[in-house]
This record gives sequence, C-alpha cells and structure tokens, in this order.
Amino acid sequence: MEDKVFVTGVGIISALGVGKDATLQALLKGESCIGSATYIQTEHKEFPVGEVSLSNAEMSRMLNVGYPIDGLRTVLMGIIASKEAVSSAALTTEDIHRAAFINGTTVGGMDKTERHFKKVFDTNAETSESLELKYNDCGYSTELIADNIGKFGMVTTTSTACSSSANAIILGANLIRSGVVDIAVVGGTEALTRFHLNGFNTLMILDREICRPFDKERGGINLGEGAAYIVLENEKSARMRGVDILGVLCGFANTCDAFHQTATSENGEGAYLAMRKAMEMAKLDLFEIDYINAHGTGTPNNDETELSAMKRIWGDNIPRFSSTKSFTGHTTSASGAIETVICLLSMQNGFVPKNLGWHTSIKDDIIPVIEDIENIDIKHVINNSFGFGGNDSTLIFEAF
Amino acid sequence: MANRCFVDSLAQVSCQKPLSEEWFDSPYIYDVEYVRALDPDIKGLIASSEARRMSKILKRAVSTALTALNSSYISHPDAIITGTGMGCMENSEKFLTDLSIFGENCLKPTLFMQSTHNTISSLIAIIIKCHGYNSTYSHKGVSFESALLDAWIQIKSGSIGNALVGAHDEVTPLMNLVMKHTHPEYSFVSETSMSTVLTNTAGSNSICEVTEVKLFHRPELEELAHLLNERTDSILLLGVNGNILNDKPYHDLLKGLSYVPCALQYKNVFGENFSVSSLAFYVGAKILEKQSVPVFLSLFGDKKVSGNFENVTILNHSDNKIWSMIRLKKIG
Repeated sequence: MEDKVFVTGVGIISALGVGKDATLQALLKGESCIGSATYIQTEHKEFPVGEVSLSNAEMSRMLNVGYPIDGLRTVLMGIIASKEAVSSAALTTEDIHRAAFINGTTVGGMDKTERHFKKVFDTNAETSESLELKYNDCGYSTELIADNIGKFGMVTTTSTACSSSANAIILGANLIRSGVVDIAVVGGTEALTRFHLNGFNTLMILDREICRPFDKERGGINLGEGAAYIVLENEKSARMRGVDILGVLCGFANTCDAFHQTATSENGEGAYLAMRKAMEMAKLDLFEIDYINAHGTGTPNNDETELSAMKRIWGDNIPRFSSTKSFTGHTTSASGAIETVICLLSMQNGFVPKNLGWHTSIKDDIIPVIEDIENIDIKHVINNSFGFGGNDSTLIFEAF
Repeated sequence: MANRCFVDSLAQVSCQKPLSEEWFDSPYIYDVEYVRALDPDIKGLIASSEARRMSKILKRAVSTALTALNSSYISHPDAIITGTGMGCMENSEKFLTDLSIFGENCLKPTLFMQSTHNTISSLIAIIIKCHGYNSTYSHKGVSFESALLDAWIQIKSGSIGNALVGAHDEVTPLMNLVMKHTHPEYSFVSETSMSTVLTNTAGSNSICEVTEVKLFHRPELEELAHLLNERTDSILLLGVNGNILNDKPYHDLLKGLSYVPCALQYKNVFGENFSVSSLAFYVGAKILEKQSVPVFLSLFGDKKVSGNFENVTILNHSDNKIWSMIRLKKIG
C-alpha cells in the first residue's frame, strides 16, 4: 500500500486554450479568459462564461470524427485532452491495454439531449430523434472517449458533481496502490449546457460580472467548460518505461460534508476533513505546503467556508492560495483535473497563479495570491474540489 | 491486498415485493414489457415531512440503505458508494420538460438540486450524518460493479473497514418509450434499488464473501472464457434477458467453456435497467447462503439444482463493450 503514485502525463483544454503549453502561457499572462457566451445556446447572455474557443465542428475536424461525436461537446473536449495526456506519457497500445480509464462527468451528453428533448417529449418518444438521447448518460461519453484512445484494461465513470474528476483521480490512485492496474488515465470533462447554466441560475449563484473568488463583494460563479486528464502510474511501470515523472500524488482524501445538497456547513467540516486527511496521508507538516489551489467558486457560501476550513488547519499561517476559476470559470466536473494540471504546471515552472478579481478580504485580512510570484521553488501543492452534496475531495502533489 | 470482504446485509426495491426476500421462493411473474418498482412502506424509515421532498428514486434508495444498515452491525459506514446509470431521472426529466415548455425562466431550483447523480449518496450521508468517503459511479450497466470495485479494493487494502454500496435506477414512462429506440437489446424493463453492507470481518450474519470484482473494456470472449475455465465455478449467473441482441455474447461465451456450468438468469424476475446487475449480486449471495437454487432462475430449464455450492460467478455486459465479473464465495 505504500507504493508511490507518479504522474507521467497531462492533457488539458479549457478557456485558457488547447494543451498544457497554451494553458501555461495564459496563466503567466495573468488575464481572465472568461467572456460572453458564443457557442452555448442560451437567452442568459448576461452571465459571462469560460468557453473553449472552438466550435464543435472545429473540434470534430481537428479529431477527424463524425456522428454522433460531432454533436457531443463533452466527448470532443474529452478526446482532445485525453489524447494529449496519453501522448505526453508516451503510452503505447500495449500500455493502454493494461491501463484503466476513469472519467469524471455529470451532464454527459446533455448538450445533445437538450437539443432533441422537446421533440421527444412532444411526440411521446414517437420520433427517431429519441435515439439522440442514447448519449445522455455519463457512461456513453466515457466510452466514446475511450474508444478514440484505444482498448483499455477497464473503463468507468465517476459522477460526483463538481468533484467528479478529483474522484476519478482518487479511484485511479487506489486502483494502482491496490495492484489492480499499473497505469490509469484519469480526469474529467464537462461542456457548458443550458441545463447547467439554468440550473445554477435557479440557485441564484451565478455572477453577472467576472467572478471574484475570495473577495468580500464576490457575486457567485461564472460557469466554464473543459477537460483534463493525467496519467497515473506505479513506480515500477514508470521506471521500466523510462518516462519523465511530472509529480507524485502523495496524499488524497474524499469526505462528505453531510450537511445539505447545495450549501456547505458553516465551519466547512467536509472541506476541513478532506484537507486534514489528505495531509495525514501525505505525512506532511503544515508549513510544507507551498500553494493551495482552492475550490474558490466565488459563491458567498463556498469561499467563506473553505477559508474557515483552511483556518481550522493552518490558523494564521494559511499557505499561499488562489482560485484559478477566475481564469477558467468553474468547469464543474472537469475542475478537479483542470486545476490538477494547473498545480503540476505551477510546480514544474515555479510560479503561483494569481487570484484575479480580488479587492477586499472576506475576514481576518486573509489575502489570496494577487501579485505575480515567479521563479520560486514549489515542492507541495494542494488541490481542493468540492461538489454539490458535500462531496469534498483534496489531492496533494509533490514535485519530483 | 491482505484483508477480506464479506457481505453483511442486503435490501432491495424492485418489481418484486419490496424490502423482502419472498422473491427467492415465490416471485411475482410479469408478462409485460415495462413495470415500475413496487414502492416500499417507508413509515419508520423516513419521516413523512422528509419523504414529501424526495423523488421516487431517493425514497427507494434511502429505504434500502437504511434497511441494509439496520440489519447489519454498522450504523455509520466508513464509505457510502453508489452506482446509478441514469441518476435522478424523474427530476432531470421534469427540469428538461420545464425548460422546453417554459424556456429559460421560472425554473425550479429543487428539481436541479436533486437531479445530479450524486444526490443519492449525499442524501444518505446527510440522513445518517456520515462524513466518510462518499462517491458515485455512473457507467451504464456496470455502475453497480464500479461502486462495488471501489469499495472492494478499499476494504481489501485496509483503507476502510466497511462500506454501504448501492445501485439505484428509476425508469419513467417517457424514458421507457425512449429506451425502445436507445436500447433495442432490452426486453422486460423495470426499476432497481439495492443496498448492501460490506465489511472486512466475518460475523454470525455474514452472507458470503466477495472474492473478485473485475471490469473489462472490450474484452475478447476467449479472455473471459479462459478466466472461467480456470475457476470452473458450477454456478454462472448471467445477464441474459431473452433478447438475442443482448444474449448472443453470453451464449457464445458458454460455447467456449471447457466445462458445463449451471447457467442462471435473473432479469426474468427483476427486469432490465442500468442497476439490475446489483440484484444478480443479491441472488448470488442468497444462493450461497441458502445453498439452493430457485428453479425459475435456471436458464436452460434444468430441474431442481442442488449440490454443494462453493462459488458463484456473476457475468454481465453492457452493450458487449464493458463486461464485469464478480465472484462470491460461501462462508466457512
């Protein structure tokens, strides 16, 4: 059980661009990539979003794929990011045969479903358009992505709302530590949908301005979209293949706030337990954490309770922290994996991404990272992902 | 993985008598294409004020979860892990219906809040105040097996001592009609809610041991046949449903075996949906506990099957793309 879990590949697509190099450049540039909606069909143009700046048709051409994938944005982004991860880890066809593919998503093919649902509903399913609803459930999205990579050893899908891809990473790590597989391609993908945008709007937690995580006047979430995957691998396999090791997953925990479906408990119990348990697993002293990539959605509720949870652990010595959702928007199911890739880029390139849009402390003069911090040594980072239902997960990565 | 994993309790809601094991001796037999689950009496399990706010799937899931916990020695499991192929379909469908009728205004927050797949696992955690590991898998017909695999590796490796594992799917009348297009391989459609408590310690109420849980992506049938031939378990519990589109791979697999197993079915009794393989787990566990096989489960009309049953292997596929194998072992 003490086997180390190495990261040997990454792939990412988000509003910041396609691929890890574009992502790094956008983060270093320090400007938000959130803007007005272009591709998502919605009346609610008042809400800024973090869209991937490619149409479905453009992504389909890039990948040379046709029906039904050309109508499934979650799948298109998933294929782009997972291909990059697999190729950056130099996985061969044989490596993929023995690997697990674990994908986190919540709405799956909802973008296709919502285009066809009215006709299906109006005709009581007496229309061939009913077939388009086949791709609605999460497993289909995962399989369509997997099929475009190769034949894996095993494939499955986590669906825990906004912590889905963090939990995909945790399952992958547990599969490796228990010896079920040597390699796991893990992460998640989620497209912007009317379903999600309107759902979050009913909860009145969307900001009409660019989101301002951890700011006193923060007004909620900007939804985003994207996909990211990392390749996890045990030491023996990584050494045998002679690949570059990008980092080590040295601690992780999944806990439940067990308080409310969409609100967090006042003292952030679930978030506190997730960070504390992950720290125990990593066997790190409190001062050893160099950076926390916070969940930091920008909602009044999340940011305040996440700070409470950090304060319960670190007291007045909270490590440097920021929410990169002010760059990407909240990419929901994909956020855990997208922010994991950002954490790995931060460690490899010795910088801390800024928390854009911040002006005033919520309490106790707690200030996120707002200045450029570059050319520093970052050894350990924490990535928090919290979802509806109080599904709270924390990942800790160590530089290699 | 040094530890062992035992089944402590099981509870089901389906088209059979709810929260009961009467199906084992006298099942309800249906001659229809679609029947909804028989809802359980929730008095004593869920307060009526709470129940009013819950959709069908949530009531069923909470009922089976609490029943399974009550009949085990565990009140606060170390983990709550759920499989659901379609999630909270009724609420999702209502939200989509409102969206297509009323447009993007005047939508109801409760429908959205209770539409995500992880609503089920979270609600159980909220009710029993459980801060432990909590996860949800949504992968078509192997959602349950994915949840089981997660619990099994964590129990076997010692990360957790016990877990509440469940599988829940509801099929609304509209979705049943949609499935005629999307799932031509189905025959008799129904709904499933199953919960089981797994522990690392065998006790007086242990029902069986879980000795293997495997998932396969696009396996060759020879690969599966090879595994079965190594084990030669007399009882094979298969996801056949009488529809050739679904059954062909199972029959092809049986042809490749070097021994003659006793092949059993279960979808004839419980119907089809993404969570029904969890009931194969229930069936397999009860066969090992009772050491008898109900005649109606026999695939080829074998008369009374008896003998000393040591192991049961459950094989299930989803679109012949993802296969799962679960192996259960008699206690003792």
